[in-house]
Amino acid sequence: MSAKHKILIVEDEKNIRNLVKTILKTKGYQVFDATNGSTGVIMFNSHCPDLIILDLGLPDMDGVEFIKIIRQEHQTPIIVLSARHKESDKVSALDLGANDYVTKPFGTEELLARVRATLRNTLIKESGGDLKGAKFTVDNLTIDYDKRRVIIDGDEIHLTQTEYNIVEYLSIHSGRVLTYSDIVKKIWGYSDSGSIKKLQVNMANIRKKLNEKPGENKYITNELGVGYRMNSDDN
Amino acid sequence: MKHHDKTKIIVKNIIVTLGIILMFFGICILVEKWLNTYIPIPAILTLGVFLISLITKGFVYGIVASLISVLALNYAFTFPYFKFNFTIPENLVSAVVMFIVTIVSSALITRVRRAEELKVESEKEKLRANLLRAVSHDLRTPLTTIYGSGAGIVDNLDSLDKEEIIELAQGIKEDSQWLITMVENLLSVTKINGQGVALKKSPIVLEELIDTALVKFKVHHADVDVRLDIPEDIVIIPMDPVLIGQVIMNILENAVRHGENLTYISIKVRTLGDRAIFEISNDGKNIPRDIIDNVFTGYYEKKNKPVDSNEGMGIGLSVCHSIIKVHGGDITVENLKPKGCCFRFWLGLEANEDEC
Repeated sequence: MSAKHKILIVEDEKNIRNLVKTILKTKGYQVFDATNGSTGVIMFNSHCPDLIILDLGLPDMDGVEFIKIIRQEHQTPIIVLSARHKESDKVSALDLGANDYVTKPFGTEELLARVRATLRNTLIKESGGDLKGAKFTVDNLTIDYDKRRVIIDGDEIHLTQTEYNIVEYLSIHSGRVLTYSDIVKKIWGYSDSGSIKKLQVNMANIRKKLNEKPGENKYITNELGVGYRMNSDDN
Repeated sequence: MKHHDKTKIIVKNIIVTLGIILMFFGICILVEKWLNTYIPIPAILTLGVFLISLITKGFVYGIVASLISVLALNYAFTFPYFKFNFTIPENLVSAVVMFIVTIVSSALITRVRRAEELKVESEKEKLRANLLRAVSHDLRTPLTTIYGSGAGIVDNLDSLDKEEIIELAQGIKEDSQWLITMVENLLSVTKINGQGVALKKSPIVLEELIDTALVKFKVHHADVDVRLDIPEDIVIIPMDPVLIGQVIMNILENAVRHGENLTYISIKVRTLGDRAIFEISNDGKNIPRDIIDNVFTGYYEKKNKPVDSNEGMGIGLSVCHSIIKVHGGDITVENLKPKGCCFRFWLGLEANEDEC
Protein backbone atom coordinates (compact mmCIF):
# COMPACT_ATOMS: atom_id res chain seq x y z
CA MET A 1 0.00 0.00 0.00
CA SER A 2 3.04 2.21 0.26
CA ALA A 3 3.34 2.39 -3.49
CA LYS A 4 3.83 5.92 -4.77
CA HIS A 5 2.55 7.84 -1.78
CA LYS A 6 4.08 11.31 -1.90
CA ILE A 7 5.77 12.49 1.27
CA LEU A 8 7.16 15.97 1.96
CA ILE A 9 9.94 16.33 4.54
CA VAL A 10 10.48 19.75 6.12
CA GLU A 11 13.67 19.59 8.18
CA ASP A 12 16.69 21.91 8.30
CA GLU A 13 19.21 19.35 9.59
CA LYS A 14 20.84 17.88 6.50
CA ASN A 15 21.74 14.51 8.01
CA ILE A 16 18.32 13.86 9.47
CA ARG A 17 16.72 14.93 6.18
CA ASN A 18 18.92 12.51 4.24
CA LEU A 19 18.27 9.73 6.70
CA VAL A 20 14.49 10.10 6.53
CA LYS A 21 14.61 10.47 2.75
CA THR A 22 16.69 7.33 2.30
CA ILE A 23 14.53 5.22 4.58
CA LEU A 24 11.32 6.31 2.89
CA LYS A 25 12.70 5.84 -0.63
CA THR A 26 13.76 2.27 0.12
CA LYS A 27 10.13 1.59 1.07
CA GLY A 28 8.90 2.89 -2.27
CA TYR A 29 7.59 6.29 -1.20
CA GLN A 30 8.07 9.30 -3.44
CA VAL A 31 9.91 11.90 -1.39
CA PHE A 32 10.30 15.69 -1.60
CA ASP A 33 12.19 17.82 0.85
CA ALA A 34 12.44 21.40 2.07
CA THR A 35 15.01 22.94 4.40
CA ASN A 36 12.77 25.59 5.92
CA GLY A 37 9.15 26.51 6.50
CA SER A 38 8.58 28.91 3.63
CA THR A 39 10.11 26.54 1.06
CA GLY A 40 8.01 23.83 2.68
CA VAL A 41 4.82 25.76 1.99
CA ILE A 42 5.83 26.30 -1.66
CA MET A 43 6.73 22.62 -2.06
CA PHE A 44 3.43 21.67 -0.48
CA ASN A 45 1.44 23.77 -2.94
CA SER A 46 3.29 22.51 -5.99
CA HIS A 47 3.47 18.78 -5.13
CA CYS A 48 0.32 18.14 -3.07
CA PRO A 49 1.92 15.44 -0.89
CA ASP A 50 -0.11 12.72 0.89
CA LEU A 51 1.83 13.24 4.11
CA ILE A 52 4.16 15.80 5.67
CA ILE A 53 7.01 14.99 8.06
CA LEU A 54 7.78 18.20 9.91
CA ASP A 55 10.59 19.21 12.24
CA LEU A 56 9.29 21.56 14.94
CA GLY A 57 12.49 23.62 15.15
CA LEU A 58 12.77 25.33 11.77
CA PRO A 59 15.16 28.23 11.07
CA ASP A 60 12.60 30.65 9.62
CA MET A 61 9.41 29.85 11.52
CA ASP A 62 8.06 27.83 14.39
CA GLY A 63 6.92 24.40 13.25
CA VAL A 64 3.63 25.14 14.97
CA GLU A 65 3.17 28.12 12.63
CA PHE A 66 3.72 25.81 9.68
CA ILE A 67 0.95 23.51 10.92
CA LYS A 68 -1.41 26.50 11.25
CA ILE A 69 -0.68 27.61 7.67
CA ILE A 70 -1.30 24.14 6.23
CA ARG A 71 -4.41 23.54 8.34
CA GLN A 72 -6.08 26.72 7.09
CA GLU A 73 -7.07 24.93 3.91
CA HIS A 74 -5.81 21.36 3.97
CA GLN A 75 -6.24 18.21 6.02
CA THR A 76 -3.03 16.59 4.75
CA PRO A 77 -1.70 14.44 7.61
CA ILE A 78 1.35 15.79 9.44
CA ILE A 79 3.85 13.81 11.53
CA VAL A 80 5.95 16.01 13.78
CA LEU A 81 9.57 15.34 14.72
CA SER A 82 10.23 16.73 18.17
CA ALA A 83 12.85 16.68 20.87
CA ARG A 84 12.40 14.94 24.18
CA HIS A 85 11.72 17.12 27.24
CA LYS A 86 9.13 19.07 25.30
CA GLU A 87 5.80 17.42 26.10
CA SER A 88 4.05 20.77 25.85
CA ASP A 89 5.31 21.27 22.27
CA LYS A 90 4.01 17.86 21.29
CA VAL A 91 0.64 18.53 22.86
CA SER A 92 0.23 21.92 21.21
CA ALA A 93 1.29 20.52 17.84
CA LEU A 94 -1.24 17.70 18.18
CA ASP A 95 -3.98 20.04 19.36
CA LEU A 96 -3.32 22.31 16.38
CA GLY A 97 -3.92 19.47 14.00
CA ALA A 98 -0.71 17.47 13.71
CA ASN A 99 -1.64 13.79 13.40
CA ASP A 100 1.23 12.22 15.26
CA TYR A 101 4.74 12.75 16.53
CA VAL A 102 8.04 10.90 16.66
CA THR A 103 10.54 11.82 19.34
CA LYS A 104 14.17 12.44 18.39
CA PRO A 105 16.28 10.37 18.46
CA PHE A 106 13.99 7.87 16.72
CA GLY A 107 14.47 4.42 15.28
CA THR A 108 13.74 3.94 11.60
CA GLU A 109 11.15 1.24 12.32
CA GLU A 110 9.27 3.59 14.61
CA LEU A 111 9.13 6.31 11.97
CA LEU A 112 7.98 3.89 9.26
CA ALA A 113 5.27 2.49 11.53
CA ARG A 114 3.93 6.00 12.18
CA VAL A 115 3.98 6.79 8.46
CA ARG A 116 2.06 3.61 7.63
CA ALA A 117 -0.48 4.13 10.42
CA THR A 118 -1.07 7.76 9.48
CA LEU A 119 -1.54 7.02 5.79
CA ARG A 120 -3.89 4.14 6.57
CA ASN A 121 -5.95 6.34 8.87
CA THR A 122 -6.33 8.89 6.12
CA LEU A 123 -7.52 6.21 3.74
CA ILE A 124 -10.20 5.13 6.22
CA LYS A 125 -11.38 8.71 6.63
CA GLU A 126 -11.47 9.29 2.89
CA SER A 127 -13.59 6.22 2.45
CA GLY A 128 -16.29 7.99 4.43
CA GLY A 129 -15.38 7.01 7.97
CA ASP A 130 -18.71 5.24 8.29
CA LEU A 131 -18.65 2.74 11.13
CA LYS A 132 -21.77 0.86 10.04
CA GLY A 133 -21.03 -2.80 9.75
CA ALA A 134 -17.37 -2.10 10.41
CA LYS A 135 -15.16 -3.95 12.84
CA PHE A 136 -11.84 -3.08 14.38
CA THR A 137 -9.23 -5.67 15.16
CA VAL A 138 -5.91 -5.49 16.93
CA ASP A 139 -4.14 -8.61 18.16
CA ASN A 140 -6.88 -10.84 19.60
CA LEU A 141 -9.26 -7.95 20.35
CA THR A 142 -12.22 -7.10 18.14
CA ILE A 143 -14.64 -4.20 18.36
CA ASP A 144 -18.03 -4.63 16.77
CA TYR A 145 -19.16 -1.06 16.20
CA ASP A 146 -22.76 -2.01 15.34
CA LYS A 147 -23.32 -3.92 18.57
CA ARG A 148 -20.98 -1.73 20.60
CA ARG A 149 -19.18 -4.80 21.83
CA VAL A 150 -15.55 -5.48 22.65
CA ILE A 151 -14.46 -9.08 22.28
CA ILE A 152 -11.21 -10.76 23.26
CA ASP A 153 -10.70 -14.34 22.06
CA GLY A 154 -14.42 -14.76 21.61
CA ASP A 155 -15.34 -13.52 25.10
CA GLU A 156 -17.21 -10.27 25.47
CA ILE A 157 -15.59 -7.68 27.74
CA HIS A 158 -18.17 -5.76 29.73
CA LEU A 159 -17.39 -2.07 29.58
CA THR A 160 -19.47 0.84 30.86
CA GLN A 161 -20.88 3.28 28.30
CA THR A 162 -18.08 5.77 28.95
CA GLU A 163 -15.39 3.11 28.82
CA TYR A 164 -16.75 1.82 25.54
CA ASN A 165 -16.93 5.34 24.10
CA ILE A 166 -13.26 5.91 24.96
CA VAL A 167 -12.16 2.60 23.47
CA GLU A 168 -14.22 3.22 20.35
CA TYR A 169 -12.81 6.72 19.88
CA LEU A 170 -9.23 5.49 20.29
CA SER A 171 -9.81 2.60 17.90
CA ILE A 172 -11.22 4.82 15.16
CA HIS A 173 -7.89 6.65 15.27
CA SER A 174 -5.78 3.58 15.92
CA GLY A 175 -2.06 4.01 15.50
CA ARG A 176 -2.39 7.67 16.32
CA VAL A 177 -1.87 9.39 19.66
CA LEU A 178 -4.85 11.35 20.96
CA THR A 179 -4.20 14.00 23.60
CA TYR A 180 -5.95 13.92 26.98
CA SER A 181 -7.87 17.11 26.22
CA ASP A 182 -8.91 15.78 22.81
CA ILE A 183 -10.36 12.59 24.32
CA VAL A 184 -11.98 14.44 27.22
CA LYS A 185 -13.73 16.89 24.90
CA LYS A 186 -14.93 14.07 22.67
CA ILE A 187 -16.28 11.91 25.50
CA TRP A 188 -17.72 14.46 27.92
CA GLY A 189 -18.17 17.39 25.57
CA TYR A 190 -16.38 19.78 27.91
CA SER A 191 -13.20 19.81 29.94
CA ASP A 192 -12.53 21.14 33.41
CA SER A 193 -9.84 20.68 36.04
CA GLY A 194 -11.16 17.29 37.14
CA SER A 195 -11.79 15.78 33.74
CA ILE A 196 -8.28 14.47 33.07
CA LYS A 197 -8.46 12.58 36.34
CA LYS A 198 -11.84 11.20 35.26
CA LEU A 199 -10.21 9.99 32.05
CA GLN A 200 -7.26 8.48 33.96
CA VAL A 201 -9.62 6.55 36.24
CA ASN A 202 -11.66 5.27 33.29
CA MET A 203 -8.46 4.22 31.50
CA ALA A 204 -7.28 2.35 34.60
CA ASN A 205 -10.57 0.42 34.64
CA ILE A 206 -10.35 -0.28 30.91
CA ARG A 207 -6.82 -1.65 31.31
CA LYS A 208 -7.97 -3.89 34.13
CA LYS A 209 -10.88 -5.24 32.10
CA LEU A 210 -8.70 -5.80 29.03
CA ASN A 211 -6.17 -7.49 31.30
CA GLU A 212 -3.33 -5.21 30.22
CA LYS A 213 -0.06 -5.67 32.13
CA PRO A 214 2.41 -2.81 32.66
CA GLY A 215 5.27 -3.13 30.17
CA GLU A 216 3.27 -5.55 28.00
CA ASN A 217 0.22 -3.59 26.93
CA LYS A 218 -1.20 -5.26 23.85
CA TYR A 219 -3.92 -2.83 22.88
CA ILE A 220 -3.43 0.66 24.27
CA THR A 221 -0.10 2.50 24.56
CA ASN A 222 0.40 5.18 27.21
CA GLU A 223 2.02 8.31 25.86
CA LEU A 224 2.91 9.68 29.28
CA GLY A 225 2.08 13.34 29.74
CA VAL A 226 0.55 13.51 26.25
CA GLY A 227 -2.29 11.05 25.73
CA TYR A 228 -3.20 7.51 24.62
CA ARG A 229 -2.77 5.50 21.46
CA MET A 230 -4.70 2.44 20.32
CA ASN A 231 -2.22 0.08 18.72
CA SER A 232 -2.80 -1.10 15.21
CA ASP A 233 -1.72 -4.39 13.75
CA ASP A 234 0.99 -3.01 11.53
CA ASN A 235 3.03 -1.19 14.15
CA MET B 1 2.08 30.92 39.82
CA LYS B 2 5.43 32.71 40.08
CA HIS B 3 3.70 36.04 40.15
CA HIS B 4 1.29 34.79 42.78
CA ASP B 5 4.24 33.73 44.98
CA LYS B 6 5.85 37.12 44.64
CA THR B 7 2.82 39.05 45.88
CA LYS B 8 2.51 36.57 48.73
CA ILE B 9 6.09 37.30 49.82
CA ILE B 10 5.57 41.07 49.56
CA VAL B 11 2.41 40.92 51.69
CA LYS B 12 4.21 38.77 54.25
CA ASN B 13 7.14 41.20 54.41
CA ILE B 14 4.86 44.22 54.84
CA ILE B 15 3.05 42.50 57.71
CA VAL B 16 6.39 41.59 59.34
CA THR B 17 7.66 45.17 58.95
CA LEU B 18 4.55 46.78 60.39
CA GLY B 19 4.34 44.22 63.18
CA ILE B 20 7.91 44.78 64.33
CA ILE B 21 7.60 48.57 64.14
CA LEU B 22 4.41 48.53 66.25
CA MET B 23 5.96 46.11 68.72
CA PHE B 24 9.04 48.25 69.21
CA PHE B 25 7.01 51.44 69.54
CA GLY B 26 5.09 49.65 72.25
CA ILE B 27 8.36 48.76 73.96
CA CYS B 28 9.54 52.38 73.65
CA ILE B 29 6.34 53.69 75.23
CA LEU B 30 6.60 51.16 78.08
CA VAL B 31 10.27 52.01 78.66
CA GLU B 32 9.45 55.69 78.62
CA LYS B 33 6.54 55.22 81.07
CA TRP B 34 8.35 53.00 83.55
CA LEU B 35 11.91 54.27 83.46
CA ASN B 36 10.89 57.80 82.66
CA THR B 37 13.77 58.32 80.26
CA TYR B 38 14.21 58.77 76.53
CA ILE B 39 17.83 57.76 76.42
CA PRO B 40 17.41 54.06 75.30
CA ILE B 41 14.70 54.92 72.74
CA PRO B 42 16.95 55.43 69.66
CA ALA B 43 18.83 52.24 70.49
CA ILE B 44 15.58 50.24 70.79
CA LEU B 45 14.23 51.62 67.52
CA THR B 46 17.51 50.83 65.79
CA LEU B 47 17.26 47.23 67.02
CA GLY B 48 13.76 47.03 65.53
CA VAL B 49 14.96 48.22 62.14
CA PHE B 50 17.85 45.81 62.34
CA LEU B 51 15.45 42.90 62.95
CA ILE B 52 13.26 43.98 60.07
CA SER B 53 16.22 43.97 57.70
CA LEU B 54 17.17 40.55 59.02
CA ILE B 55 13.76 38.93 58.54
CA THR B 56 12.51 40.54 55.34
CA LYS B 57 14.29 39.96 52.11
CA GLY B 58 15.34 43.06 50.23
CA PHE B 59 16.66 46.46 51.04
CA VAL B 60 13.39 48.39 50.81
CA TYR B 61 11.72 47.27 54.03
CA GLY B 62 14.73 48.20 56.17
CA ILE B 63 14.91 51.68 54.63
CA VAL B 64 11.18 52.30 54.99
CA ALA B 65 11.31 51.07 58.59
CA SER B 66 14.25 53.36 59.38
CA LEU B 67 12.43 56.34 57.87
CA ILE B 68 9.34 55.61 59.96
CA SER B 69 11.51 55.14 63.05
CA VAL B 70 13.32 58.44 62.50
CA LEU B 71 10.00 60.25 62.12
CA ALA B 72 8.53 58.51 65.17
CA LEU B 73 11.62 59.27 67.24
CA ASN B 74 11.37 62.89 66.25
CA TYR B 75 7.63 63.09 66.75
CA ALA B 76 7.05 61.15 69.92
CA PHE B 77 10.26 60.75 71.81
CA THR B 78 12.29 63.94 71.40
CA PHE B 79 11.54 67.45 72.58
CA PRO B 80 9.19 69.08 71.67
CA TYR B 81 7.06 65.96 72.24
CA PHE B 82 4.36 64.97 69.72
CA LYS B 83 5.55 67.52 67.23
CA PHE B 84 7.86 67.26 64.26
CA ASN B 85 10.85 69.46 64.80
CA PHE B 86 14.03 69.18 62.85
CA THR B 87 15.33 72.65 63.79
CA ILE B 88 16.72 71.66 67.18
CA PRO B 89 20.29 70.55 66.46
CA GLU B 90 20.33 67.52 68.79
CA ASN B 91 17.08 66.18 67.25
CA LEU B 92 18.54 66.61 63.81
CA VAL B 93 21.78 64.91 64.82
CA SER B 94 20.04 61.94 66.46
CA ALA B 95 17.76 61.56 63.45
CA VAL B 96 20.65 61.62 61.00
CA VAL B 97 22.74 59.20 63.08
CA MET B 98 19.88 56.76 63.40
CA PHE B 99 19.10 56.97 59.72
CA ILE B 100 22.73 56.22 58.83
CA VAL B 101 22.93 53.33 61.29
CA THR B 102 19.82 51.72 59.91
CA ILE B 103 20.85 52.18 56.31
CA VAL B 104 24.28 50.73 56.94
CA SER B 105 22.91 47.78 58.89
CA SER B 106 20.28 46.90 56.32
CA ALA B 107 22.85 47.24 53.56
CA LEU B 108 25.16 44.93 55.47
CA ILE B 109 22.46 42.34 56.06
CA THR B 110 21.41 42.46 52.43
CA ARG B 111 24.98 41.88 51.42
CA VAL B 112 25.37 38.88 53.72
CA ARG B 113 22.20 37.43 52.28
CA ARG B 114 23.45 37.94 48.73
CA ALA B 115 26.67 36.15 49.63
CA GLU B 116 24.66 33.20 50.94
CA GLU B 117 22.61 33.05 47.77
CA LEU B 118 25.78 33.14 45.73
CA LYS B 119 27.13 30.25 47.75
CA VAL B 120 24.07 28.11 47.00
CA GLU B 121 24.41 29.08 43.34
CA SER B 122 28.03 28.06 43.28
CA GLU B 123 27.18 24.71 44.89
CA LYS B 124 24.77 24.08 42.05
CA GLU B 125 27.41 25.29 39.63
CA LYS B 126 29.90 22.86 41.13
CA LEU B 127 27.52 19.94 40.72
CA ARG B 128 26.95 20.90 37.12
CA ALA B 129 30.65 21.29 36.43
CA ASN B 130 31.40 17.89 37.97
CA LEU B 131 28.74 16.22 35.93
CA LEU B 132 29.88 17.95 32.77
CA ARG B 133 33.47 16.91 33.32
CA ALA B 134 32.54 13.30 34.01
CA VAL B 135 30.16 13.16 31.09
CA SER B 136 32.52 14.69 28.57
CA HIS B 137 35.09 12.11 29.62
CA ASP B 138 32.56 9.36 29.08
CA LEU B 139 31.48 10.75 25.75
CA ARG B 140 34.84 10.27 24.15
CA THR B 141 34.78 6.46 24.00
CA PRO B 142 31.50 6.02 22.13
CA LEU B 143 32.29 9.00 19.91
CA THR B 144 35.54 7.31 18.90
CA THR B 145 33.65 4.17 17.92
CA ILE B 146 31.01 6.07 16.01
CA TYR B 147 33.41 8.35 14.17
CA GLY B 148 35.91 5.58 13.43
CA SER B 149 33.31 3.08 12.24
CA GLY B 150 31.52 5.64 10.09
CA ALA B 151 34.75 6.78 8.48
CA GLY B 152 35.85 3.15 8.13
CA ILE B 153 32.75 2.27 6.16
CA VAL B 154 32.86 5.37 3.93
CA ASP B 155 36.61 5.10 3.17
CA ASN B 156 36.87 1.34 2.66
CA LEU B 157 33.51 0.40 1.24
CA ASP B 158 35.02 -1.60 -1.62
CA SER B 159 37.36 -3.70 0.49
CA LEU B 160 34.86 -4.53 3.26
CA ASP B 161 32.54 -7.48 2.99
CA LYS B 162 28.93 -7.34 4.10
CA GLU B 163 29.56 -8.89 7.51
CA GLU B 164 32.30 -6.43 8.36
CA ILE B 165 30.07 -3.53 7.43
CA ILE B 166 27.25 -4.90 9.58
CA GLU B 167 29.66 -5.31 12.48
CA LEU B 168 30.86 -1.71 12.21
CA ALA B 169 27.30 -0.43 11.84
CA GLN B 170 26.27 -2.48 14.88
CA GLY B 171 29.00 -0.75 16.88
CA ILE B 172 27.67 2.62 15.76
CA LYS B 173 24.16 1.64 16.78
CA GLU B 174 25.14 0.37 20.22
CA ASP B 175 27.39 3.26 21.13
CA SER B 176 24.85 5.80 19.89
CA GLN B 177 22.27 4.18 22.11
CA TRP B 178 24.60 4.66 25.02
CA LEU B 179 25.18 8.28 24.03
CA ILE B 180 21.44 8.85 23.97
CA THR B 181 21.18 7.69 27.58
CA MET B 182 24.03 9.99 28.51
CA VAL B 183 22.52 12.99 26.78
CA GLU B 184 19.10 12.36 28.36
CA ASN B 185 20.74 12.45 31.77
CA LEU B 186 22.55 15.65 30.89
CA LEU B 187 19.31 17.22 29.70
CA SER B 188 17.65 16.31 32.97
CA VAL B 189 20.45 17.97 34.92
CA THR B 190 20.18 21.19 32.96
CA LYS B 191 16.42 21.07 33.43
CA ILE B 192 16.82 20.82 37.20
CA ASN B 193 19.63 23.30 37.53
CA GLY B 194 18.21 25.82 35.11
CA GLN B 195 17.89 29.12 36.91
CA GLY B 196 14.37 30.13 37.79
CA VAL B 197 12.95 27.08 36.03
CA ALA B 198 10.16 25.73 38.18
CA LEU B 199 9.52 22.02 38.11
CA LYS B 200 6.37 21.37 36.15
CA LYS B 201 4.46 18.64 37.95
CA SER B 202 1.41 16.97 36.49
CA PRO B 203 -0.77 14.21 37.97
CA ILE B 204 0.56 10.90 36.66
CA VAL B 205 -0.99 7.45 37.04
CA LEU B 206 1.56 5.14 38.67
CA GLU B 207 0.68 2.19 36.44
CA GLU B 208 1.20 4.29 33.30
CA LEU B 209 4.54 5.54 34.57
CA ILE B 210 5.77 2.02 35.27
CA ASP B 211 4.40 0.80 31.93
CA THR B 212 6.21 3.52 29.97
CA ALA B 213 9.50 2.90 31.77
CA LEU B 214 9.24 -0.86 31.23
CA VAL B 215 8.41 -0.56 27.54
CA LYS B 216 11.49 1.60 27.10
CA PHE B 217 13.65 -0.72 29.19
CA LYS B 218 12.52 -3.82 27.31
CA VAL B 219 13.61 -2.41 23.96
CA HIS B 220 17.18 -3.27 24.95
CA HIS B 221 16.68 -5.75 27.77
CA ALA B 222 13.77 -7.93 26.71
CA ASP B 223 15.37 -10.95 28.41
CA VAL B 224 15.51 -9.47 31.93
CA ASP B 225 12.89 -10.81 34.34
CA VAL B 226 11.19 -7.77 35.89
CA ARG B 227 8.72 -8.58 38.68
CA LEU B 228 6.07 -6.04 39.53
CA ASP B 229 4.19 -5.45 42.74
CA ILE B 230 2.10 -2.29 42.60
CA PRO B 231 -1.20 -1.36 44.27
CA GLU B 232 -4.41 -2.66 42.66
CA ASP B 233 -6.11 0.70 43.15
CA ILE B 234 -5.28 3.65 40.96
CA VAL B 235 -2.48 5.79 42.41
CA ILE B 236 -1.95 9.30 41.06
CA ILE B 237 1.33 11.06 41.86
CA PRO B 238 2.20 14.64 40.95
CA MET B 239 5.54 14.66 39.14
CA ASP B 240 7.50 15.56 36.06
CA PRO B 241 6.97 12.24 34.26
CA VAL B 242 10.03 12.53 32.03
CA LEU B 243 12.33 13.07 35.01
CA ILE B 244 10.85 10.34 37.23
CA GLY B 245 10.82 7.98 34.23
CA GLN B 246 14.50 8.73 33.93
CA VAL B 247 15.07 7.84 37.60
CA ILE B 248 13.45 4.42 37.11
CA MET B 249 15.37 3.83 33.87
CA ASN B 250 18.69 4.76 35.46
CA ILE B 251 18.16 2.41 38.39
CA LEU B 252 17.11 -0.43 36.07
CA GLU B 253 20.05 0.16 33.72
CA ASN B 254 22.38 0.33 36.69
CA ALA B 255 21.12 -3.06 37.88
CA VAL B 256 21.73 -4.65 34.50
CA ARG B 257 25.16 -3.09 34.15
CA HIS B 258 26.54 -3.78 37.62
CA GLY B 259 24.36 -6.51 39.07
CA GLU B 260 26.50 -9.48 38.03
CA ASN B 261 24.55 -12.72 37.68
CA LEU B 262 21.26 -11.14 38.59
CA THR B 263 18.27 -13.36 37.89
CA TYR B 264 15.52 -10.79 38.39
CA ILE B 265 14.71 -7.16 39.13
CA SER B 266 11.75 -6.33 41.32
CA ILE B 267 9.76 -3.10 41.30
CA LYS B 268 7.57 -2.65 44.32
CA VAL B 269 5.46 0.42 45.02
CA ARG B 270 3.22 1.05 47.99
CA THR B 271 1.56 4.08 49.52
CA LEU B 272 2.10 5.05 53.12
CA GLY B 273 0.32 8.13 54.46
CA ASP B 274 0.90 10.90 51.95
CA ARG B 275 3.86 9.19 50.29
CA ALA B 276 4.39 6.74 47.46
CA ILE B 277 7.36 4.51 48.24
CA PHE B 278 9.23 2.88 45.36
CA GLU B 279 11.58 -0.06 45.92
CA ILE B 280 13.64 -1.31 43.01
CA SER B 281 15.82 -4.26 43.95
CA ASN B 282 17.75 -7.06 42.30
CA ASP B 283 19.58 -10.22 43.36
CA GLY B 284 22.86 -9.41 41.66
CA LYS B 285 26.05 -8.72 43.58
CA ASN B 286 26.28 -6.33 46.53
CA ILE B 287 27.51 -2.79 45.95
CA PRO B 288 31.08 -2.58 47.33
CA ARG B 289 31.40 -0.81 50.70
CA ASP B 290 33.58 2.03 49.43
CA ILE B 291 31.15 2.82 46.63
CA ILE B 292 27.78 2.53 48.35
CA ASP B 293 28.28 5.65 50.48
CA ASN B 294 29.03 7.79 47.46
CA VAL B 295 26.73 6.16 44.99
CA PHE B 296 24.62 9.32 44.62
CA THR B 297 27.46 11.80 44.36
CA GLY B 298 29.27 10.24 41.43
CA TYR B 299 32.62 11.12 42.98
CA TYR B 300 33.88 7.58 43.53
CA GLU B 301 34.22 6.98 39.84
CA LYS B 302 37.58 8.47 39.09
CA LYS B 303 39.49 6.25 41.47
CA ASN B 304 39.08 2.56 40.90
CA LYS B 305 37.67 2.15 37.44
CA PRO B 306 39.44 0.70 34.45
CA VAL B 307 40.08 3.41 31.89
CA ASP B 308 38.15 1.76 29.10
CA SER B 309 35.02 0.98 31.11
CA ASN B 310 31.99 2.19 29.26
CA GLU B 311 30.01 2.96 32.35
CA GLY B 312 29.43 6.34 33.88
CA MET B 313 26.44 5.18 35.88
CA GLY B 314 27.69 7.28 38.78
CA ILE B 315 26.29 10.08 36.70
CA GLY B 316 22.99 8.27 36.31
CA LEU B 317 22.54 7.75 40.03
CA SER B 318 23.55 11.27 40.99
CA VAL B 319 21.02 12.49 38.44
CA CYS B 320 18.43 10.28 40.20
CA HIS B 321 19.35 11.89 43.48
CA SER B 322 18.96 15.42 42.12
CA ILE B 323 15.64 14.60 40.46
CA ILE B 324 14.13 13.06 43.59
CA LYS B 325 15.39 15.98 45.69
CA VAL B 326 13.77 18.62 43.49
CA HIS B 327 10.55 16.65 43.78
CA GLY B 328 10.79 17.05 47.55
CA GLY B 329 11.42 13.34 48.14
CA ASP B 330 14.43 11.30 49.13
CA ILE B 331 16.39 8.33 47.77
CA THR B 332 18.51 5.72 49.56
CA VAL B 333 20.24 2.48 48.72
CA GLU B 334 21.08 -0.59 50.77
CA ASN B 335 22.65 -3.96 50.16
CA LEU B 336 20.46 -7.02 50.64
CA LYS B 337 21.40 -10.29 52.29
CA PRO B 338 22.83 -12.52 51.02
CA LYS B 339 23.17 -10.66 47.73
CA GLY B 340 21.66 -7.88 45.65
CA CYS B 341 20.71 -4.34 46.51
CA CYS B 342 17.63 -2.17 46.85
CA PHE B 343 17.10 1.42 45.77
CA ARG B 344 14.29 3.07 47.68
CA PHE B 345 12.77 6.47 46.98
CA TRP B 346 9.56 8.27 47.88
CA LEU B 347 7.44 10.97 46.31
CA GLY B 348 4.70 13.06 47.91
CA LEU B 349 1.13 12.20 46.91
CA GLU B 350 -0.23 15.68 47.58
CA ALA B 351 0.01 18.31 44.88
CA ASN B 352 2.16 20.75 46.81
CA GLU B 353 2.15 23.95 44.83
CA ASP B 354 4.21 26.32 46.94
CA GLU B 355 7.32 24.19 47.15
CA CYS B 356 8.17 24.15 43.46
